[in-house]
Amino acid sequence: MKKAPREEPDERLNVTPPKTWATGVPAVTHALEYSLAETSVRRTGLTLLTMNQVGGIDCPGCAWADPAPGHRHVNEYCENGAKHINDEATSRRVTADFFRRHTVSGLGRRSDRWLNQQGRLTEPMVKRPGADHYEPISWHDALGLLADELRSLDSPDEAVFYTSGRVSNEAAFLLQLFARAFGTNNLPDCSNMCHESSGFALHETLGTGKGTVSLDDLHHADLILVVGQNPGTNHPRQLSALEEAKRNGARVIAVNALPEAGLLRFRNPQKARGIIGRGVPIADQFLQIRSGGDLALFQGLNRLLLEAEDARPGTVLDQDFIRSDTSGFEEFSRHARTVAWEDVLVATGLTRGEIEKVRDEVLRSERVVVCWAMGVTQHRHGVPTIREIVNFLLLRGNLGKAGAGACPVRGHSNVQGDRTMGVWEQMPDSFLDALREEFGFEPPRAHGFDSVNAIRAMGEGRVKVFVGVAGNFVRAAPDSDVTEDAMRRCRLTVHVSTKLNRSHTVCGETALILPTLGRTERDIQATGEQFVTVENSMSEVHSSHGRLEPASKVLLSEVAILCRLAARTLDASAGIPWAEFEADYGTIRNRIARIVPGLHDFNRRVARPGGIRLPNPVNEGVYGTATGKAMFTRNAWQMLHAPDGHLVLQSLRSHDQWNTVPYTDDDRYRGIHGSRRVVLVNPQDVTRLGLAPGQKVDLVSVWAGGADRRAEDFTVVAYPTSPGCAAAYYPETNVLLPLDSVAESSNQPTAKGMVVRLEPRG
Amino acid sequence: MSTVEETIVVAVPVGTAYNQWTQFKSFPRFMAVVKGVEQIRPNLTRWVIGLGPVRHEFDAEIVDQRPDSLVRWRSLGPRLAHRGEVSFRATEADRTEVSVRIDLRSHGAADPRTHAGRLVRRALRAELGHFKEFIEGLGREGGAWRGTIRGGHVRPLGTEPARSRVPHWPVG
Repeated sequence: MKKAPREEPDERLNVTPPKTWATGVPAVTHALEYSLAETSVRRTGLTLLTMNQVGGIDCPGCAWADPAPGHRHVNEYCENGAKHINDEATSRRVTADFFRRHTVSGLGRRSDRWLNQQGRLTEPMVKRPGADHYEPISWHDALGLLADELRSLDSPDEAVFYTSGRVSNEAAFLLQLFARAFGTNNLPDCSNMCHESSGFALHETLGTGKGTVSLDDLHHADLILVVGQNPGTNHPRQLSALEEAKRNGARVIAVNALPEAGLLRFRNPQKARGIIGRGVPIADQFLQIRSGGDLALFQGLNRLLLEAEDARPGTVLDQDFIRSDTSGFEEFSRHARTVAWEDVLVATGLTRGEIEKVRDEVLRSERVVVCWAMGVTQHRHGVPTIREIVNFLLLRGNLGKAGAGACPVRGHSNVQGDRTMGVWEQMPDSFLDALREEFGFEPPRAHGFDSVNAIRAMGEGRVKVFVGVAGNFVRAAPDSDVTEDAMRRCRLTVHVSTKLNRSHTVCGETALILPTLGRTERDIQATGEQFVTVENSMSEVHSSHGRLEPASKVLLSEVAILCRLAARTLDASAGIPWAEFEADYGTIRNRIARIVPGLHDFNRRVARPGGIRLPNPVNEGVYGTATGKAMFTRNAWQMLHAPDGHLVLQSLRSHDQWNTVPYTDDDRYRGIHGSRRVVLVNPQDVTRLGLAPGQKVDLVSVWAGGADRRAEDFTVVAYPTSPGCAAAYYPETNVLLPLDSVAESSNQPTAKGMVVRLEPRG
Repeated sequence: MSTVEETIVVAVPVGTAYNQWTQFKSFPRFMAVVKGVEQIRPNLTRWVIGLGPVRHEFDAEIVDQRPDSLVRWRSLGPRLAHRGEVSFRATEADRTEVSVRIDLRSHGAADPRTHAGRLVRRALRAELGHFKEFIEGLGREGGAWRGTIRGGHVRPLGTEPARSRVPHWPVG
């Protein structure tokens, strides 16, 4: 283990050519180097060898599904999962002495990377009004302070309870139970910023909020479209699934504004062929699309499929399926035929020939899966884009059939489970009624605040207490300056955290840090050792058992913190047995089993190897939509227009980064080393804008009716992005994204569609 | 491609024979070469078959299924590539003719002139005999799935089958 750094690293930007293949041996060495710098050989071994195994630790790194029990590799994890889990298992500690040496304002000037590198939080801390230091506080006093503050509010709606996707099902269920028993639906979560558009679009058109495929479907697909997604960095284990699909004969089409290494070629480090061979080419066709052009692409494609059916009636569309399982086909079909090719070509930046080639691939394929991520969801028209993907799948019956379907690829390991547990500000009455029946209180019915509306309400003084369970809200949220100002206006900000991050430095009048157990750690309560459960992106609910000794004896589990807080806050605990829940997590699951449909007999079923596979109604031929059928929709769009001298900027993560946390300033697949303040610009645009590679610029985002926002001191890197489109790292670019710039209906911030100009610095 | 066909008459009503056949998970109870079956979804099953210590696993998609009439399936992936169909026909009120037809796509495994082909035919005949023995001995089915599958798509019986009762609200 290396000691935590005292100073920020002094590194210089070095740019090398982007890589054309992902993973391989370097992925293994990088993961091990990082792990051993953070902790011991023993702890590294304990985490890595039990990761994603039956009875082991579920990797908190991402939500990708695990292969069936018996089909898992001994090393069932990826480079980024290994780095992430050992980032939590680190042997470095942040103690009371650390906070004596550092002021809050001083910590606020530190980088995200430096803060994370200091290690695990070990005891509860409080920042009192007017103070610039955190000081130790007992658990009893900390929870009492928070409970008193909550009870003193004029209305329960003056508090918000934020959840990040690391939170287990048990803790998420308790959090929403506590918030509702307290009297509010203010339950913003990180999925407001990631896949909210997917949930809205799928729910409207298919009557389910979740993806319809499992790993089996990917393995058996004939054609997989990977749209607006970078699996090489963000879901590396997806590459193994794509590799298997390809070995079974599948074709893959990648649609992205950047030629990401993981989309081009994969060298599987768990197979000899990946270590000594050249690896497997992933994308058979790469469509370098203009950022935000996906809706136009699928509309053009759908028009081509309709015309192919006209030419050879009865051979292209699944007419039987369309007749019996869908509604709205005629209206959709009329609208799709009016789509103008010139608009499609401008919006996508593709040629008609390229799109016709996709059509030909589709016509050759009986089973098609479409995978997508935030390159699709984080646009103003994210919801209509996904509805159009559904149209595309419906046309040839590619829903509800083996080897086919819709695959939104979620990032955070339990982001899907947290929503299943009721962490949503708009839960339906059926769920709230079930809560009332089970616990005997009347849950509030008015919808609460999502993330964007919570920030607005804090900024306007309508919310006075912010409680964040896991995550780094300040850095995950858009419009950094506005968000930070909103947090500072709160009377009390509270973070239940494992490690230090910027959210701890942007304090309300009073601030609390409540340190908690990580998922890697043993969780021992009054009835003995506990486990928690999580749900992956493919609706498989399974257990996760911590194996390491906790980072400090003082740490409480998230469940324990929530139970004790609820008992202190609610009158007579509202008749809810919080102490029993804390002592035995099985009793929480028994309640979940009675409230969440599909999780009946939860404790017994989740104990089986592989856990519980929640069915998707679409695969049962059931559509809980307004028409009772899968719905074709008509989707209008407006191209995001960048005026002369401007570019469309998308945010992205580097390869050495997990959500808001950079592990280093390198991004080796893209050839960026030593700095994250870079803007990737197509070489033609560099010339057209009168810039030069290596030049220092400020990024200035333009927002109709609002002030310009500025991110200072970025270096221009000539990079093969789509012409007219630029890219820079998240969360550094969040400052450019106006709070009001959100996707239609889902209210999701549009981090992939910001209009910016690059202003040279003096 | 080559084909193996076998027919047997079982002394139960057609509904009983069909219903029992839909309980794929029960197959290892009475079939010798079927070691395990997982019903992943109504239209997707995973089979482990084997003789002695050798095990083969494949996934099968149910392409068509009509109550009291037929089940048509095909394997997915490169392993043990085949298509199959089982049909049920009432010959009398309590007599049902069960016919299985399997088309194998590789290695001439179902060619009756080869050793492998004779093996497949013999195994199929024996397994149908096991089915007859099992269902006649029981006299009634151990369960039933009465939905329909057409073109690989499930058409459920009723508007809200139990398996569709899961959280349906949007997930972000």
